[in-house]
Amino acid sequence: MSRVVKSRFKSNERPPLERLGDFEEVDLGLDDANAVREAGRCIKCPLWFAPCVKGCPISIKIPEFVKAVENRDLEKALRIMWEDNLFPSITGRVCPQELQCEANCVVGRIGEAVSIGKLERYVGDRARALGLEAKLLEEMKEKIKPNGRKVAVIGSGPAGLACAAELAKLGYNVTIYEALHAPGGVLRYGIPEFRLPKRLLDSEIEKLSFLGVEIRLNHIVGKTISINELLNEYDAVFIGTGAGAPKFLEIPGVNLNNIYSANEFLTRVNLMRADRFPEYDTPVKVGKRTVVIGGGNTAMDAARVARRMGSEVVVAYRRGREDMLQTARLEEVKHAEEEGVSFMYFVQPVEFIGDGKGFVKGVRFEKMKPIDEVDEKGKRKIVGTGEFVELAADTVIIAIGLVPNKVLAESAPDLKIRDDGTVEVDEALQTSIPGVFAGGDAVRGEATVVLAFSDGKKAAHSIHKYLSAKVKQS
Amino acid sequence: MLRITGKIDLNSIDFYMEIEAPHVARKWKPGNFVILMLHEKGERIPESVYSVRDGRIGMFIRRHGKTTLELYHRFKVGDYIYAVSGPHGREFPIKHYGTVIYASDAVCGHAENASFTQELKKYDNYVISIQTFETGKEVYPEEFLAEKHADEHYVTTLDGSAGVKGHYTDLISKIISERRVDLVLTGGSLAGMFKASELTRRHGIPNYALVRTIMVDGTGMCGSCRVFYGGAVRFACVDGPVMNAHLIDWEDVMRRDKRFIEEQEKAKNLFLSKIIAR
Repeated sequence: MSRVVKSRFKSNERPPLERLGDFEEVDLGLDDANAVREAGRCIKCPLWFAPCVKGCPISIKIPEFVKAVENRDLEKALRIMWEDNLFPSITGRVCPQELQCEANCVVGRIGEAVSIGKLERYVGDRARALGLEAKLLEEMKEKIKPNGRKVAVIGSGPAGLACAAELAKLGYNVTIYEALHAPGGVLRYGIPEFRLPKRLLDSEIEKLSFLGVEIRLNHIVGKTISINELLNEYDAVFIGTGAGAPKFLEIPGVNLNNIYSANEFLTRVNLMRADRFPEYDTPVKVGKRTVVIGGGNTAMDAARVARRMGSEVVVAYRRGREDMLQTARLEEVKHAEEEGVSFMYFVQPVEFIGDGKGFVKGVRFEKMKPIDEVDEKGKRKIVGTGEFVELAADTVIIAIGLVPNKVLAESAPDLKIRDDGTVEVDEALQTSIPGVFAGGDAVRGEATVVLAFSDGKKAAHSIHKYLSAKVKQS
Repeated sequence: MLRITGKIDLNSIDFYMEIEAPHVARKWKPGNFVILMLHEKGERIPESVYSVRDGRIGMFIRRHGKTTLELYHRFKVGDYIYAVSGPHGREFPIKHYGTVIYASDAVCGHAENASFTQELKKYDNYVISIQTFETGKEVYPEEFLAEKHADEHYVTTLDGSAGVKGHYTDLISKIISERRVDLVLTGGSLAGMFKASELTRRHGIPNYALVRTIMVDGTGMCGSCRVFYGGAVRFACVDGPVMNAHLIDWEDVMRRDKRFIEEQEKAKNLFLSKIIAR
């Protein structure tokens, strides 16, 4: 196996000092030569064996598309990719590959794993740039045989986009309902520009429009229109509303000014462009020293946005770095570290301290330590030490997770909701209301973009099966 | 894009605006609000609704910040605005309560004063409407007051130049000392609602208030609008905006209302300087 190259061919990452000055993408991706070389590192395990494929939540035929890249046949690579994943430019950027495909890579046992994520992204980006995506899309559209049936998709985040695309391919007339003024859900308001450029998201959404999907913005299902009304107008409904409501810490001072949820902070910047206030009308206040509480991808995103807005940033996490790498992508943690974000581990906030004028000026933490037990989620348990530490902070961002938004559930009493607020579904992702399906974070609580894509696609096929059976019956 | 179909001055700072928004008008109920966005670079601002008819929503809007000044100075009837979403928030349960006071001292409160009064009358309530203005000159034109719907209607002015002298809380205080009142509703300035909540609490009268806080999405996604409600964190955009005034931590609400005051001033002054430069 002497032919195996142990280290990766690098993608073009911009230096930290340069990227701190703007919101442009951090990693510019692999160039053609390095993509081909990197693809050459893959030993092309047979599909029945390939551990990478088993690690992929949507079972992309990784060795096959990688082989096509190596052969410089991007069109073939994209065709293989699209059999399982229509959005490689997105998943290649946001999936935690080091915990999925790349964790299983055979090459990874003797050296660095093949950069599957970067290659995936390369396929999406280059195929678009070369016009191959447009070509395949044209082909796809020609094959669509409209069946005259209508499906409503609630939410234009990853679950909704994947479901809509798949249904459109199957010949359905699809309308997406989106509460905000711009489509994309968490891909728009949550993930910053430097990690997922909005022009890229826009082009993915244009793809759907090209396939005939209509998007109705500013429509809050549950308020503007109810699920029952949708069922009168459409043959089936898909709920992809995500896990939309931020959790707050129930500790003193949590409502002090300049304490944001990560959702508020990121929405102000990513969706409303508060980083460009007053050119854009929405403000955001970022002081000299920001403390971000939490250790997931959202915490990393918030920290790096605050850094770009000129603040010193400390991420305070209640467990250790190794635990954090189970919840945040390694690349994001590394990028945050390179960009000068400091980390403080094993601390749990107990109080926010005010400056007497209503603004936060510090956070008081209890120092924590791990014990030899795991919780129900398989995470290490931690206990307080009785020791406390205080950090000065004029801005605090709370990124400790989300709970499902209750607006839709409250408006649909027949929709069965689990105790944790998520929507109950069966194996086929059908909810307690016949003809209404659900997927993504609305069902899973907090999961990943790729699982939402996977659910959306699966639900589309369940809807197809459900409606096909219904047609036969009648 | 939604078309502006009406625009009328109400006084020196407030104006009425009507926008074609059938998707919102269809479902609007008292207590619900809408979110407007003027253009792609705009902010999302919550607005209370005064009237709904023929797929159009009528709002009372105060020129107090950059966005509302821009709406007033740069948009005219026939122009289009970028986005309107809604209805947002929880509707207020309109039913028979008995004698109900709706009192307001500022623009969003005056809008709801009219719409609530009208709806409450449908359920055989005895409705007393009180509307406070700074001076007699600032009182809205008669057709925009809640007078036509109420059993009793009072205008009060802080300087006494028209109607009853004083703030609505002075009049509420007088009324509840004389007769039984089953429910007090308040809308407008935070300070006014705070004061009214103290008063009604002392007299053991149920009091619901229009809690207008700083919002972004208005769908419970961001928590910008959060308030302490009975000691717990709640979101005014989805748990409100009409909430039990006795459970609200008003000092917290008033403090959070000022969190972007510097930015608001900056944006406003920049806009005003552009208008003057023209």
